[in-house]
Amino acid sequence: MPDLMLKARSPLHRLELTFDDVVIKEITGRDIVSIATPLEGQEGLSTAVASAYQTKLPTVGQWTGSLIDDAHFLGMGPEQYFVVFESSGSQALDRIKSKLGETGYFTDQSDSWVMIRIGGRKSRIALERICPIDLHPNFFPKGCVTRTLMEHLSTIVLSEGNDHFLLLSAASSAASFVQVLQRSVENIL
Amino acid sequence: MSQTNRVSGGLVDRNNVFKFKFDGRLFKGYPGDTLASALLANGQRLVGRSFKYHRPRGIVTAGSEEPNALVQLGRPPHQEPNIRATEVELFDGLEATSQNHRGSVKYDLMAVNDLLWPFLTAGFYYKTFMWPKAFWEKVYEPAIRASAGLGRLSDKPDPDTYDKGFLHCDILIVGSGPAGLSAALVAGRSGARVILADENFHMGGRLIAETRELSGMSGLNWVTEVLAELGAMTNLRVMPRTTVYGAFDHGIYGALERIPDHLSSNRQKPRQVLWRIYSKRTILCAGATERLIAFGNNDRPGVMLAGATRAYVNRWAVTPGKRIAIFTNNNDGWRTATDLVEKDVEVTAVVDTRHGLARATPSGTSVIMGGRIIDTNGRHGIHSFTLSNGHIIRADCLAVSGGWNPNIHLTCHQGGRPVWRNEISAFTPGNNLPIGMTVAGAANGSLGLAAALIEGGKAANKATKDLGFSESSYTPPTTEEEDVEVSAFWYVKESRKRSWLDLQNDVTVKDVHLACQEGFNSVEHLKRYTTLGMATDQGKMANVPALAVLAECTNKSIADTGTTVFRPPYTPISIGAFAGRSRGNDFRPYRLTPSHDWAVENNAVFVETGMWLRAQWFPQPGETNWRQHVDREVTQTRKSVGVCDVTTLGKIDIQGRDAADFLNSVYANNFGKLDVGKVRYGLMLREDGIAMDDGTTAHLSKSHFVMTTTTANAVSVFRHLEFCRQCLWPGMDVHVISTTEQFAQYAVAGPNSRKLLQILIDPKFDISNEAFPFMACAEITISGGTPARLFRISFSGELAYEIAVPTRYGDALIRKLMAVGETFDVVPYGTEALGAMRIEKGHAAGGELNGQTTAHDLGMGRLLSKSTDYIGKTLSKRPDLNCENRPTLVGLRPIERSAHLTAGAHIVAPGMEATMANDEGWISSVTFSPTLNYSIGLGFIKHGSKRLGEVIRVVNPLEEEDIKAEIVSPHFFDPEGERLRA
Repeated sequence: MPDLMLKARSPLHRLELTFDDVVIKEITGRDIVSIATPLEGQEGLSTAVASAYQTKLPTVGQWTGSLIDDAHFLGMGPEQYFVVFESSGSQALDRIKSKLGETGYFTDQSDSWVMIRIGGRKSRIALERICPIDLHPNFFPKGCVTRTLMEHLSTIVLSEGNDHFLLLSAASSAASFVQVLQRSVENIL
Repeated sequence: MSQTNRVSGGLVDRNNVFKFKFDGRLFKGYPGDTLASALLANGQRLVGRSFKYHRPRGIVTAGSEEPNALVQLGRPPHQEPNIRATEVELFDGLEATSQNHRGSVKYDLMAVNDLLWPFLTAGFYYKTFMWPKAFWEKVYEPAIRASAGLGRLSDKPDPDTYDKGFLHCDILIVGSGPAGLSAALVAGRSGARVILADENFHMGGRLIAETRELSGMSGLNWVTEVLAELGAMTNLRVMPRTTVYGAFDHGIYGALERIPDHLSSNRQKPRQVLWRIYSKRTILCAGATERLIAFGNNDRPGVMLAGATRAYVNRWAVTPGKRIAIFTNNNDGWRTATDLVEKDVEVTAVVDTRHGLARATPSGTSVIMGGRIIDTNGRHGIHSFTLSNGHIIRADCLAVSGGWNPNIHLTCHQGGRPVWRNEISAFTPGNNLPIGMTVAGAANGSLGLAAALIEGGKAANKATKDLGFSESSYTPPTTEEEDVEVSAFWYVKESRKRSWLDLQNDVTVKDVHLACQEGFNSVEHLKRYTTLGMATDQGKMANVPALAVLAECTNKSIADTGTTVFRPPYTPISIGAFAGRSRGNDFRPYRLTPSHDWAVENNAVFVETGMWLRAQWFPQPGETNWRQHVDREVTQTRKSVGVCDVTTLGKIDIQGRDAADFLNSVYANNFGKLDVGKVRYGLMLREDGIAMDDGTTAHLSKSHFVMTTTTANAVSVFRHLEFCRQCLWPGMDVHVISTTEQFAQYAVAGPNSRKLLQILIDPKFDISNEAFPFMACAEITISGGTPARLFRISFSGELAYEIAVPTRYGDALIRKLMAVGETFDVVPYGTEALGAMRIEKGHAAGGELNGQTTAHDLGMGRLLSKSTDYIGKTLSKRPDLNCENRPTLVGLRPIERSAHLTAGAHIVAPGMEATMANDEGWISSVTFSPTLNYSIGLGFIKHGSKRLGEVIRVVNPLEEEDIKAEIVSPHFFDPEGERLRA
């Protein structure tokens, strides 16, 4: 039934905006799955992650990386993690379950968020206009992740180092969010 | 007019000439000028009219404390009123106008007020405008409104843009005078992250307005050297043109940065940025503000502060007059004379209120020790003044120094109270400063230059040490010793003329006496009665002298008299800056449904539901009003099939071994025995037993449920669940996460809904009535493998499904549904048709779940679980929530079928007066039912279910409606549910 096939669409249609010293780019091709730790199941989950991904589960406010599936584990809160990883042919949940089994409660969040990378020499100055978090590399170095509000929109900020930040915000308000980012860059350049 | 009052030197760039207009006249100035300095350079002394009496007024100060020189900047729509000329950085093409006059500023018709002054004294408006009553609104109010205010808004939308932002630092230094720069050097050298903010466009504070030497170099050179070092520091941010206007909780400071306001071009960027600065330590080095001495007609143009006079001569190379006299009660005033003479300006006299030895003065200057000025003479500017002994001295500028008030405002924003220090006759910061703040220099009452340099460095070293940074080596530059003593001299008692304390609000010494005489003798009452210290300058110059007069009246000390409470902002902030970029389409973000683009393409009219934009209806050619759209959508859905985007409903993933128990505890009805593959309606109560929200919950697998909530309560229900999970039952193995954004969800409703879906759903999934009955759910695939969830639930009362796919497929799915649905004449329907069908069906929604109704009120009492404990169970048993005469849910239809019911109308028995006492209930939701072809409604009435068939009146006094209606079952359509089970 080829005529019935549904074509996927990213929230911002793979948007990329280039300014002097700042680039805003929608990141596609990566999935997000939330992991909740079962009661008294922290050890089992940690062991499974270490075994399957050769990395540690992060503490809250940190992220750890793995070469396997280019996975990033984000410490979102007590007993709560996000894993962001390269999409494969299979469904995101199946992919995680195949690695971690029954060690956690998993929920697909891939379509819940728009992922935007903002990078460049003036990216932090642009984010000063909307981000209440101190993004100075001394305080928010590579490996940090946090959740905040930018212009009323819930946003997860992940420091990738070298003035590059990965921002996750709700998919439904992606257009407003990128407009906010764009305005911030235009206002400082 | 040429710049007749320019003198040598100064920090202006004479290689460039700026042209600007004031009141339509063309003037010239230089880069580095303020509007005030440029006007003075051109001999323009009269710059405005006073607030109440419309007296001629000139420039008094050189800073943000300016009470008189308020101008309108720019032309409409950029026009901005009440801007202090002393703060406006001159640029080429600047246009400004004086304000608060009818006619020209020189010949103001409203100056007649000044002749009527005996009738317009303090508090006159509390005693007048009372008779006759008929004049209140028709005469007095229009007249008062026409007179009120100073400048005028353009009445056009502000085309300028504004922004906000967040800054973080270890140490915030407010003010860049000697104390601030010393602090910045020390803090910066330690490696701490530092912000140095100053409201002026040139850093340096008084150092660039004086001729003092620091370690043998000029103040300007020292400032230049320090700024060069600071500028090279990557850990220090220098922010000129930035006013720190408020100290808030937890080390947060508000600051306003003016960015392109001083540029004649490149004004496309936000003109101002409102910063929220998070600091661990703050060093307040805000300096001090000079104050006037009150004497007869001391408001005449040409009377100005001695320190300002010095600043104009030294920094801006402008002499405010050709023959200048000094009136002082302290040694600082004498410095003005010295500096003026150095610039070859004639100083006609120095009048010192103190007795004793005069200081050295140039030849030709009269020195009067123990002198009193009782009056000034001139019309639009001073040309001479009169001493108490009757002597008249010529002067076209009178520089007055009544001492200095430390700028303590930010120390008080967290409730701090200042303390009085007699030796400088001023209030200084108290002990209860905002947490993390220290004060240095003149702001701390240390009015000498040497003390400021030392205190700034010490404060910074203490702050850096507290924060774990290394101590910096800093040797303050050496300066000459100075005597900063002040005599407490506030006003000239010998003067019989009006002596002005508050130039901005036209408050005189006599006004304070009158207020005190009439019983307004507390400082807060004095302020309200006389308007002392209000408006743009907030009494920066006026408050302390006025307090001194009040203290004298009440026989109290000034310390006991106290001050009014200083509140943010320190200086005015435009409303635009507070709004930031939140204007127009940027006022708030929007959430768009997955079908949004398709809906736009199909002419949908949208409605805001929270942040969501939802399609309200889809107009078709030939239809002329919304009722036609909605009627068609309802009719076609009930006849064949309709599709509605219901993505906005809250969706919450609930997982864990105890998920079922968790649901049993948060829902009032039983969820313990919900089979996998089934959906159940759930009603959630608040702790007090009132209905909170309703929705459906699907059981997807053994430990996995998906809850839906109403759109409005999606967030509050999720928050509630997290609270329950984390705080009430932390021992439960259960987790919740929102999946509202994860899935695009569409309601497919109508007799042909199954047929339509069968085309899309992959063949291996059987959705026949037998295999997939009402309230079934399943995880399926559609369109050749796309994962989806299918729920057989119905809000419309029709055979209906809700189908959910990952949001990335949402746009494609709506297009596919509409394409394959063409066979069935599928119709998209919006929120209005959705609402109409749910009212026809009698489903409760927002109007019914209004925070006042119980399960019993909603006719759902039988749902409540008897076997399980759940939130709200105990308090739902309160007698008053279960008494029989509580209003319960019913349907209503008008007796006269052409009549229309109104939501919010009240129910009254026939023959009874429509009063609160006779109120029997209300209408919660109404719609025109295309199915029944008349208006129907849901409402609540006492003994509702027992009164079916009774005729009542529906009264809406606001619209003068009084309609007879019949009480019926709330289920207007398919009450047995045959269609949805088909």
